[in-house]
Amino acid sequence: MRRYREAAGEVAERPERSRWRAAALGDRAAVGYGLLVVGLVVISYVVGAAGWLPDDPSRMDMARLNAPPGAGHALGTDFLGRDILSRLIVGIQAYFLPGLLAVAISLALGAALGVTAGYRGGRAEALVTYLSNLVDAVPRLVLVLLVIAAFRADIYYVMLVVGITGAPAVASIIAGKIQFLRQKSFIEAAHVLGLPTRVIVLKHILWYNCAPLLIIQATLGMGEAILVETSLSYLGFGVQEPTPSWGNMVQAGANYFFHGKFWPSTAPALAILFTILGFHLLGDGLNNILESKSAS
Amino acid sequence: MNRLSRIAPLILTLAVALATVPALSPAASKNDGRPDGGSLAYGEYGRPATLDPITSNEMISLRITELVFNGLVGIDEKQVIIPELAERWEVSKDGRTYTFFLRKDVRWHPREGEGPKPFTAEDVLFTYNIMMHPKTITPLKVRYEFIEKVEKVDDATVRFTLKRPILNALAKFTFKVIPAHGPANSQFLTREDPFVRSPIGTGPYTVKGITADREIVLMANEDYFKGRPHINKFVSRPFADQNIMTQAMMFNAIDMLVLVNPRDLPELQGDKRFVLQPYNALSYAFFGYNLRNPLLADKRVRRAFTHAVNRQEMLDSFFNGQGTIISGPFAPGSWAYNLDVQPLPHDPAKAVALLKEAGFSAGPDGMMQKDGKPLALSLKVPIEKESEAVKRVVLAFQNYLKAIGVTVKVEFKEWQAWKDAVFVEHDFDVILASWVFDDSADISSLFHSAEIGAWKNNFGGYSNPEVDGLIVESKLTLDHEKRRTINRKLHALLAEEAPYTFLWTLTNYSGYHKKLRRVAIHPYKFFSFADEWFIPVTEQK
Repeated sequence: MRRYREAAGEVAERPERSRWRAAALGDRAAVGYGLLVVGLVVISYVVGAAGWLPDDPSRMDMARLNAPPGAGHALGTDFLGRDILSRLIVGIQAYFLPGLLAVAISLALGAALGVTAGYRGGRAEALVTYLSNLVDAVPRLVLVLLVIAAFRADIYYVMLVVGITGAPAVASIIAGKIQFLRQKSFIEAAHVLGLPTRVIVLKHILWYNCAPLLIIQATLGMGEAILVETSLSYLGFGVQEPTPSWGNMVQAGANYFFHGKFWPSTAPALAILFTILGFHLLGDGLNNILESKSAS
Repeated sequence: MNRLSRIAPLILTLAVALATVPALSPAASKNDGRPDGGSLAYGEYGRPATLDPITSNEMISLRITELVFNGLVGIDEKQVIIPELAERWEVSKDGRTYTFFLRKDVRWHPREGEGPKPFTAEDVLFTYNIMMHPKTITPLKVRYEFIEKVEKVDDATVRFTLKRPILNALAKFTFKVIPAHGPANSQFLTREDPFVRSPIGTGPYTVKGITADREIVLMANEDYFKGRPHINKFVSRPFADQNIMTQAMMFNAIDMLVLVNPRDLPELQGDKRFVLQPYNALSYAFFGYNLRNPLLADKRVRRAFTHAVNRQEMLDSFFNGQGTIISGPFAPGSWAYNLDVQPLPHDPAKAVALLKEAGFSAGPDGMMQKDGKPLALSLKVPIEKESEAVKRVVLAFQNYLKAIGVTVKVEFKEWQAWKDAVFVEHDFDVILASWVFDDSADISSLFHSAEIGAWKNNFGGYSNPEVDGLIVESKLTLDHEKRRTINRKLHALLAEEAPYTFLWTLTNYSGYHKKLRRVAIHPYKFFSFADEWFIPVTEQK
């Protein structure tokens, strides 16, 4: 058993530290930035959930509508005189848990389908490919709007759709990886040693060899989920006032953008931009560092 | 008649119908020394579904029909009844028979490939019959139920017999007349009839067509019986976003805005190229309550809400203070408005006291409750992402009520779904809406108990025999002073009862390029006097 582990480790595991050192500067910067964003989002989420805010996000100050950034309001106030910074922080609640849910669905479903297709091959593979194509054929936002029309504008329904539609991408990456791994000697060795298929799939394939892939997909998926949530809220189908969401903040602020009051929409717009960029750079950087290198 | 002002844009696809107007007989000029020529493009927020005067229920189409059609009588700038299609009229002594003598020189706009047909008494009968046909869906029907019958005396004379004499009946004959040869179906008019998209009338402008950009193009009617209008061409340009309309005017994409967004006023005021002209629409905004909800059936609760909201603060902050707070059911510009009734003041303490009087008490979470049930209401608002003014008022209302311990859940609904919920299913607690009146004193459709039901205007189910009695009495009286007294009583009573939280009447401003001269605006129909507007030759481009 011990010998087998070493054999498997040879292919799958390399000391992370050396891999990080060997990575290109750009990739390291991307991952660093991404981690910073993820850290900020998580901290802000906790701050928002605990209610440690600079101001009550729903308190209106009718005498100071669309006030520019300044004392008392670091990012200014919105069209009802509410503190933009507090609303930005609370706005994270709108997508944080739903986004995680979407990611979890994508990964679980995608991994299951990917393993089935990659490990079993044949008909199972054909079926998974067919399903993936089917889901890919329908634009995601259209599907989301259909679900909203059929049920109701609930963010959890939306994220269910986002999660399911995200699964095929995960599945095809996992399937490809497994097909590559199947020919490796350590898998054959595991078979010869009489390990149950379940253990081989879950432990030796998914856990030892696909974990980095899943993490990368999770970061990309989170970026997508935020984008969908903010788009919907912008269109008025997502989170409804007075609950803040970055999307509905941009939308509300856009009414005043051409009147010289650019901050109410610019602040959340930049937050969306830098956050989604962060998640994507993190995923992309990790991909370059962990995957491309290990494949070469 | 009251029209619910469009709170959400109706986005409808109109068929593109381009028709050319053949050359007409030599222009009959107005001979008033003012030049003809030039064109005027004005901006509208949204697109109208229909362009005829019968099926339409939107302000946008109402403005178009004002340019294309005429009534038997019209109203001049001083609100005096003047002859239009009828050159004179006679009223019988008992006030029940109105005989109109029609002009003989009026011709309908010609259709492509056809010559212009003359306007006759047949057209008046046709219009009345099609309007009253059960299958015609029109907001006008209820308004003309006082007419018993219409007869043609000869080609140029029609006689209306009324069921009973009514006050100011002549003003009701301003309804627009449509041609008997107009609609494809001569029995009733539906929105599927081609006539509603390419109507022909007798008015100063003919509908030339709708362009691919969905602009409605109107050309001067050379044959207009009051003399050719001065401006050659009117273009109604639709905008899907209210925010860019003022910008569009500043960049010369349009010459006129029917209604300037209040927050754009300072910008236009500072620009010497434009004129801002105020006009007082007979309209007001309100929060309407569903009295079918037992919580809202108690007038103390409704009064508490009215005390809780700070109307002056909202008016000042959201509308630059451009308006008047109102106290009752009539538009403040109306003679029926009772100035002695003061709006309830902003007084949260009084609001809480009223709620306590009604049996509510603050629960452990600080929110008002009765028998363990919280005072929570749903406020339904049509989705309209552009109108932040509506959104602001709604959210501010939610905030004011939260301050006195009342939970308001705001639900944004799609326009059609909202209308169904409010007017058919009555599934709401509170709405924010506004009424626009063309007849300043008739509120019977809003508060009379006979007007409760699907698609009727008494959506809140308000029923009070005393109010019913006053409304009927006001309709029946033929004495203006007496009617005024009754309406003042009605105003005071409804202010006390608070079936609505009456909010305000906004001062409307039209903005236009200063090249437009002699611009007079009708507060409701807007373009009534547009045939007199002109553009100096040097500015015609």
